[in-house]
Amino acid sequence: MLKLILPFVLLFGSIFAVVASDQPDPPADFTFINRGDVTTLDPQRMSWMQDLRVARLLFEPLVRLDVMTTDYQIVPGVAERWEISEDFKEYTFHLREDAKWSNGKPVTAQQFVYAWRRALLPETAADYTALFQIIDGAKDFFEWRSEQTRLYSIRARDLTAEQKQIESKKLWDEAATYFDEHVALKAVDDRTLTMRLEASTPYWLDLCGFIVFAPVYEPLVSQYEQIDPDTGMIKLQLGWTKPPLLISNGPFVLENWRFKRSLFLRANPEWWAKDTLDIDTIAIPSVEDANSQVLAFESGAVQWVSDVTADYRIQMLADKKAFYDENREQYEELKAQGLDAFAIDAALPDDPRKNVHALAAFGTYWYNFNCKPTLADGRENPFHDARVRRAFAMCIDKQRICDDVMRIGTPVASNMFPPGAIAGYESPKGLKCISDAKTPAEKQAIIDEAKALLAEAGYPNPAEMPRIELLFNSDGGHGLVAQQLAKDWEEFLGVRTFLAQKEIKVYKDDLKKQNFMTGRAGWFADYADPTTFLDLNRTGDGNNDRAYSSPVYDGLLDQAKEETDPEKRMALLAEAERLIMGEDLPLVPLYYYVNIYLFDPDEITGISLHPRLQQDLFNIDVLGDGKGRDEVKHIRNKELN
Amino acid sequence: MLGLILRRLIQLPVIILVIYTITLTLSWAIPGNPLEKPEGRQPSAEVIEAMKRQYKLDSFPAFYTSYLTSATGLDYLGDTLSGKRAREREQAEAAGVAPPTTYVFNLGPSLQYNDWNVNEIVADALPVSVVLGLTAILIALVIGITAGVIGAVKPNSIADLATLMVALIGISLPSFVVGTLLLLVFAVIFPIFPVGGWGKLSGLVLPATTLSLPFAAYIARLTRMGMIDALTADYIRTARAKGLSEMTVLLKHALKNAFLPVLSYLGPATAYAMTGSFVIEKVFSIPGLGQHFVNGVLNKDLFLIMGVVLIFATMLVLFNLAVDVLYRWVDPRIS
Repeated sequence: MLKLILPFVLLFGSIFAVVASDQPDPPADFTFINRGDVTTLDPQRMSWMQDLRVARLLFEPLVRLDVMTTDYQIVPGVAERWEISEDFKEYTFHLREDAKWSNGKPVTAQQFVYAWRRALLPETAADYTALFQIIDGAKDFFEWRSEQTRLYSIRARDLTAEQKQIESKKLWDEAATYFDEHVALKAVDDRTLTMRLEASTPYWLDLCGFIVFAPVYEPLVSQYEQIDPDTGMIKLQLGWTKPPLLISNGPFVLENWRFKRSLFLRANPEWWAKDTLDIDTIAIPSVEDANSQVLAFESGAVQWVSDVTADYRIQMLADKKAFYDENREQYEELKAQGLDAFAIDAALPDDPRKNVHALAAFGTYWYNFNCKPTLADGRENPFHDARVRRAFAMCIDKQRICDDVMRIGTPVASNMFPPGAIAGYESPKGLKCISDAKTPAEKQAIIDEAKALLAEAGYPNPAEMPRIELLFNSDGGHGLVAQQLAKDWEEFLGVRTFLAQKEIKVYKDDLKKQNFMTGRAGWFADYADPTTFLDLNRTGDGNNDRAYSSPVYDGLLDQAKEETDPEKRMALLAEAERLIMGEDLPLVPLYYYVNIYLFDPDEITGISLHPRLQQDLFNIDVLGDGKGRDEVKHIRNKELN
Repeated sequence: MLGLILRRLIQLPVIILVIYTITLTLSWAIPGNPLEKPEGRQPSAEVIEAMKRQYKLDSFPAFYTSYLTSATGLDYLGDTLSGKRAREREQAEAAGVAPPTTYVFNLGPSLQYNDWNVNEIVADALPVSVVLGLTAILIALVIGITAGVIGAVKPNSIADLATLMVALIGISLPSFVVGTLLLLVFAVIFPIFPVGGWGKLSGLVLPATTLSLPFAAYIARLTRMGMIDALTADYIRTARAKGLSEMTVLLKHALKNAFLPVLSYLGPATAYAMTGSFVIEKVFSIPGLGQHFVNGVLNKDLFLIMGVVLIFATMLVLFNLAVDVLYRWVDPRIS
């Protein structure tokens, strides 16, 4: 018997030893669950929302956007002041003297040039490299470098190992020289950074506050760069983004990062504005399961869930509405005082039902129409004709999709971007659809108009049209929307439909190759300018999955690029949006995204409800913890309510 | 015995090579581009082109050999012999920083988690999966054998039926239901255990129990069958005739034989417990290796898929070897 038990005793002992040696992080002032696991903390390479959110805590770009103001006021970051030429082409930034890295060394203009150059190297694989190419000469540099490394990799096949060493080094030296000579980005001295843009870009300052434009500490990062003798490209070794190596210049420093477990951040004692912080430590545990996230909040283990996706969020939102109804009188009174939604929640009686918050996000859910004359398999594509696209876009009951399918309060979308998200821009009126009809007669009129459009396009009998295929990916609840959409088109137009459900990689591939008739898609804005959405429909744009191509549309965008008067520029962009949303319909927007948060407004303050939904967590204050100001923070300028 | 171990260890590289070839061929055939993201911003064509060249994703034979030489340590050996590593060390020392980490068996970078090497991912997740799997198997053994013995002593009694029922439930209920239920009851309503996460012994209880249930059920059935067989055997009658206590007869004589089928089941069961915990890892937010299997395939993260598969294949072979050795040790009749 002992023979049998002994191995198990040994096993148990080793299990105990492993677990005991694995110490979790200490409790933090503020603990939250991010949208997903952080994939990278290299500012130039990131594009996921969860990465950007953490990076904004660790790094600081030239300027910052104050998310607690309604118009996302631009406030000084590393730069204390700046000058902009009248045509919005020349920018000069003056860096503050007390901007320091977490090791106490000053942040210099040269480090910005270094970081931005990294973003412009094709081998860095920066998702936002196109934004950096707004700088004069940058696009040329990017293309030149791509070509040079491509040619080199062919040439290198015939070189000896030693020759490769020499040649690849030479290739890199040439690239550095080429950059200095051709790209209009210069560090005049340690504290002055200048740049000239290719075209007038009024939102450039906004971009300079985007975290991918943050500097990196050159002495650290450059040690991890190696020239690969086989390809001639810079190969980045991993490791510098992890503690204790990572050196950053933002409000917090990274103290611990365990893959798929947790991140732990501590206030950066070297940050110039450290006195504005109301918390010292932030923990970000990795909790992937949607239900477990809610349970973690309810058990008190976390204070903010940044993206509630559990199916019963619908019930949670209904409960909150019931809570408001019970306190209707007080609610209306607080609202009349001009309080924002979170402040109203904080003032209402204590109740767990009020912890859920649905917020409009700066993103839109839509269906793409394939605009090519033929489908990928050679069949004729009915959606090549704009009249067909218009007819189908009209015959959608968007309200029903929001109310019966989504059920989380998503607003109906009639345009590419949600109203109020971009200061100084107003979207034109979009195409009318079934849900705009107030009476059955109006509804019939819309259907008749759509059918007339189809007849004009050569489909007098819609039932004889080719079967309409709806492409969507299997996860994430897109199937329900597709079913409702198919039902609408069958009901209102009498066409036959087919639901093409694909696994996400296949779906993505099909979209890219225009192997679809209509397919679900969506987009979140990157910066506060209409072009963040409008550029997607430019001829040849990498994200133009619709293959839409209109010289008029491209012309309007080009004209806007040259226009230096901001008001006239916005008018040109509005005209471009009207063209695609009112006439050409390469895509039909269904609803604006909603983001659901879970936090107790009596406990947490400093979360912004601006529709761009960027959360800068250095604004967070845990109320009543005795640290910081312990006051409810309001969004300044009350218009947003 | 030594011969057996030696023979298996010689077979190991051959088995791994076959698994490597098959897995890589299949993973290569997964549709989609590993450098593309499922949502949001896509890298431009030039970038994809450059990355493909850098990771050798543009040619199957090139990737096949380069991954093989780097994962088996041949690259490391080559770099050491050619003096490249020594040169790098000198350069780093001259610059006054620590040289970037190099791995003997380099499993490559993760294509999705840009900042992580597959070696780091595995090193972090493997102990977690091993501990979780082993604990689950331990719990399964305790529950399963107890239930099996109780059932066998009085077949078709209420106790037997009850254990049968529990076993059935254990096998039939999916782990996300059991897991969520346990969480709700023992972490939210009665906050005895943490909701999830890793690092505390108390945090191991709920997930290991959830994971153990199907194994416990199977072990219970195996033990019950073995015990019923053993209890009718002649040597048990002899033992009872000798006047041994019923406890000694059951545990010392009958169980020893009845345990052999359980033991042979333990090899694959342990391997399965360590790899098949994907759902439980998700529900309890446990940073184990199971999720990387699934995510790796979904994202076509070739380096991650290959790294995880190679590690597991090696473990599986070693496990079966361990069980074989254990089997012979317990039952000397087998040669």
